[in-house]
Amino acid sequence: MDKKNVSSVKTDKTEKKTRSLRIMNMHIPYHIIMVLWSFIAMFPMWFLLINTFKKKTEIYKNFFGLPKVWTLANYEALFSGSDFLTYFRNSFLVVVISLFMILFVGSLCAYALAHWRTKTSRAIYYFFVIGMMLPIKIATIRLLQIMKALNALNTLFSLYPVYIAMGLPTAVFILTEFIHGLPGEMYEAGYMDGASRFRIWYRIVIPLIRPALATVAIYNLVPIWNDLWFPLIFITREDQKTVLLAVTRLQGQYSTDWPKLLTILAMSALPVIILYLTMSKQFVKGLTAGAVKG
Amino acid sequence: MTAKPRKNPAFQGGGSIRPGGIYWMRYVIPALVFYVIFMAYPMLDSVRLSLYEGTAGTRQFVGFANYVRLFTDEVVSTRFWNAFKNNWVFFAYHMILQNALGITFAAILTNRTMRGRQFYQTLIFIPCTVAVLVTGYLFKIMMNPQWAKAPLENVGLGFLVHSPQGWLGDPGTALSAVSMVSVWQWVGIPTMMFVAAFQGIDDDLIEAASIEGANPWQQFTRIRIPLIIPVIGMVAIMTFVANFNAFDVVFSMETLDGAPNYSTDLIGTLFYRYGVAGQHPVGIPEPGVGSAISTSIFVMLLCGVIPVLVKTQGKE
Amino acid sequence: MKKLIAILMAVLMCMLPLVSLAEVELTMGSWRTEDTDQVQALLDKYCEMSGVKITFLPTTSTQYNATLRQQLDGGIGPDLFYSRSYATGAELYDNGFNVRCNEIPGVMENFTDTARSAFTSADGSVFAVPFAAVSHFVYYNKAVFAEQGIEVPKTFEEFLAVCEKLKAAGITPLSNGIAANWDILECVLCGMIPNYITAEERLAYESGEKKMNDETWVRIYTDFAKLVPYFPEAFASIDNDQANVLFGIGDTAMLIDGSWSYGTLSGDDYDIDVGFFSIPAPEGFAPGFSLHPDFGIAGNAASAHPEEVKAFLAWLATPEGAKVAAAGVPAGFLPSISADVAPEGGIVSQMFAEGEGKNADMRFVWSKMMALYTPMVDQLNAICRGEQTPQGAADAINALWEAELAK
Repeated sequence: MDKKNVSSVKTDKTEKKTRSLRIMNMHIPYHIIMVLWSFIAMFPMWFLLINTFKKKTEIYKNFFGLPKVWTLANYEALFSGSDFLTYFRNSFLVVVISLFMILFVGSLCAYALAHWRTKTSRAIYYFFVIGMMLPIKIATIRLLQIMKALNALNTLFSLYPVYIAMGLPTAVFILTEFIHGLPGEMYEAGYMDGASRFRIWYRIVIPLIRPALATVAIYNLVPIWNDLWFPLIFITREDQKTVLLAVTRLQGQYSTDWPKLLTILAMSALPVIILYLTMSKQFVKGLTAGAVKG
Repeated sequence: MTAKPRKNPAFQGGGSIRPGGIYWMRYVIPALVFYVIFMAYPMLDSVRLSLYEGTAGTRQFVGFANYVRLFTDEVVSTRFWNAFKNNWVFFAYHMILQNALGITFAAILTNRTMRGRQFYQTLIFIPCTVAVLVTGYLFKIMMNPQWAKAPLENVGLGFLVHSPQGWLGDPGTALSAVSMVSVWQWVGIPTMMFVAAFQGIDDDLIEAASIEGANPWQQFTRIRIPLIIPVIGMVAIMTFVANFNAFDVVFSMETLDGAPNYSTDLIGTLFYRYGVAGQHPVGIPEPGVGSAISTSIFVMLLCGVIPVLVKTQGKE
Repeated sequence: MKKLIAILMAVLMCMLPLVSLAEVELTMGSWRTEDTDQVQALLDKYCEMSGVKITFLPTTSTQYNATLRQQLDGGIGPDLFYSRSYATGAELYDNGFNVRCNEIPGVMENFTDTARSAFTSADGSVFAVPFAAVSHFVYYNKAVFAEQGIEVPKTFEEFLAVCEKLKAAGITPLSNGIAANWDILECVLCGMIPNYITAEERLAYESGEKKMNDETWVRIYTDFAKLVPYFPEAFASIDNDQANVLFGIGDTAMLIDGSWSYGTLSGDDYDIDVGFFSIPAPEGFAPGFSLHPDFGIAGNAASAHPEEVKAFLAWLATPEGAKVAAAGVPAGFLPSISADVAPEGGIVSQMFAEGEGKNADMRFVWSKMMALYTPMVDQLNAICRGEQTPQGAADAINALWEAELAK
């Protein structure tokens, strides 16, 4: 392999032409690995997709094949019969607001913990980290009572604080580490100019840790979007239900309309993918920000 | 709900290179408020429940009786140690397979001259976005000889079917099968973390190494890996902690009981059975025992995590 | 940053909880998510009569017990809720969550002791109005039976011969599997037991007078084991949902399942013509009939509208109310009330007819022996896998029950 491939971007034009061919060649094994895994990752998704076009029993007669009779009934049910747009809106609000708050208060806290290095700060750091080690379900009854006291039950407000609190241990854990890993000279210029710490936080630190922020957001995105437990207990009102909660009605005790369920749940993955793509753009931005410093 | 520190003149302080704790507390408090009220307090309060017996109306203080029961009662302790053992196997699959895959993918995907990186990364991530209910359902059919045997044999892939019991029906293979499905679904998460970590590496270091004649493999093992040790430690800890709280993947494929014959029973399912739902069909939960289970595991996790934290994190 | 905070605030403002309306509105919790439309229609009928609106709020069965308990514990439980029978239901009452039903008119008069006993706690309090019982049947595909020239078997021996004949013809006789970990005991074994043990004899086992590893029990496990070769080859991977589907799409000839499945099996999803019969008794045994009190309707003691709650429960305890209610739940749930409220000639009457003149009893372990539920499931699994003998299973269960009695 070419020892210079990593820095090839910076080489001059004449060298580039001859090298680019070799670089392309070099990536072939990489592409093979990635294509192979992409296939492994996606083939169940393929079966998921084709089965959303089948009728209830065909899924069991012909799971692996294309539908013998294509039907859009499952999709129609999604957009007509019920209030799935409301449910989607609720899930979306829950995820976006919770994630925003996790990142906002989490990165502030991590910024402090990475710079303020005393025994107290270590203690606070460990206090957050141990939050990852107990199942939150254990606290349900107490949380229920707190929400009741706050008069938040049956509204999305009962969900935000729980999800924010749930996301904070990982946020503090990951972000502290990343902020700590930033080169110290990054700040010095800021201090010299007399910028406040807060200004440094949002002008310098936040742009630099974009990949880490995206990581935290994505890490928490999936469990929040797919959480069933807290909506199940806190929310019974139709107009405040989340997608997954609404889906449980379709999942019967002894008989389940799987194609319809698969359709709704496949559709419910779409917003997550969109949010993922939005956030993963931050990886690239972080990259650029990192390059500027050099 | 939100702090608006920017307006606060106090925040203009901290001009000194090392401001004190009182200054920094302002940054920490918003997070602490959420965390303490909605997580730490309710959870620690529930840990206290491990010293009680019965449910809401009939709760009684029993001291350490729940722990004694957990470790000495024949049925409960058999289940506990079985789940404990299974959980280590489950964890091993994730730690070794998932994280190795993640680091490999991340190394490839941070190769700046490679095309389609974003595309691949998205594909790797897509399984994470699908509800476990769905992946469980799909794999239950795909691994069931009743449905999979004939179609797979037709295309010469008959060896992928475990006949006649199915991968999920054979107590000898079920745990591996469940672990593999979980690895498959969640590998996007460590990949993403390692990508973020590799991207944080200063290009100059790699360039310097390549000028000195290090080949890509040497660059990988001697520079890139050592530089992301803190992140590897972090991912290891998160894998460890998440695996010992895992629940959904077993629930969706092998019932709450960790069928067949408890071979896929994990601490998460055991805790749910005893502490939250109660054993089917009676369904009377024993929050005390449930709490004793999670408290014991919590202590174990602490013992596992703190040394790793100290070793890998916060090195200057 | 300011902008973001402003947006956030605006969003939060929009979502402030709306003030709910003042009119009397009750909620009803349930685990029957698939009955939502039917039951809501029934509750709307009640609303027309009484002016009290009740909203049906079901939760999936597997999550129902856990979420109901958390909600009751937190003081936000539904005003009315489906109550499980026996210990599970009684436990909620013991925690003070249920309205005591003894004084509700009709409860003591219109139900048999047997029906009521399933919803009576240790101190004699009735904690729910008995509502529906279930039975367990062998469902069969009429077309397949006709094609193979098979008659409905009268004895267990004939039943095995039918299975053998079907298997020889290349048809999987039974759909059942063991992956779900409950139906093998609740539907198959508990469906068989009344053929071997009457309700009176059950009491002798419960008290320890008779041994759980006596001849009868070894015989039960032996007969059970004889069914296993007729399950699908991949039975270890087949759960209850899949077993139903395999039968429904015509891949198998028979399915041993609960009466509640009749609705879906005979419904629009499947094309098969489905018949059913009780699991037949072996020669020399008096045929029994499994009739298991499944659920009652309970009132929440903490409801803000106690009078309306009691009025609804009282309505359910009248023959008129029960009749409307019976018509409003899916076929396969057999009314618990003593009065004959089943629609004439309907499927419920046919199901009751299966039990005529037979010793009826509930699922064996439910009344006193719930501690044996999980061990029995484990033993049955082991028998199916060929890892346990009938004698071994009986001995293991007996040892556990003796230990339990000694406590």
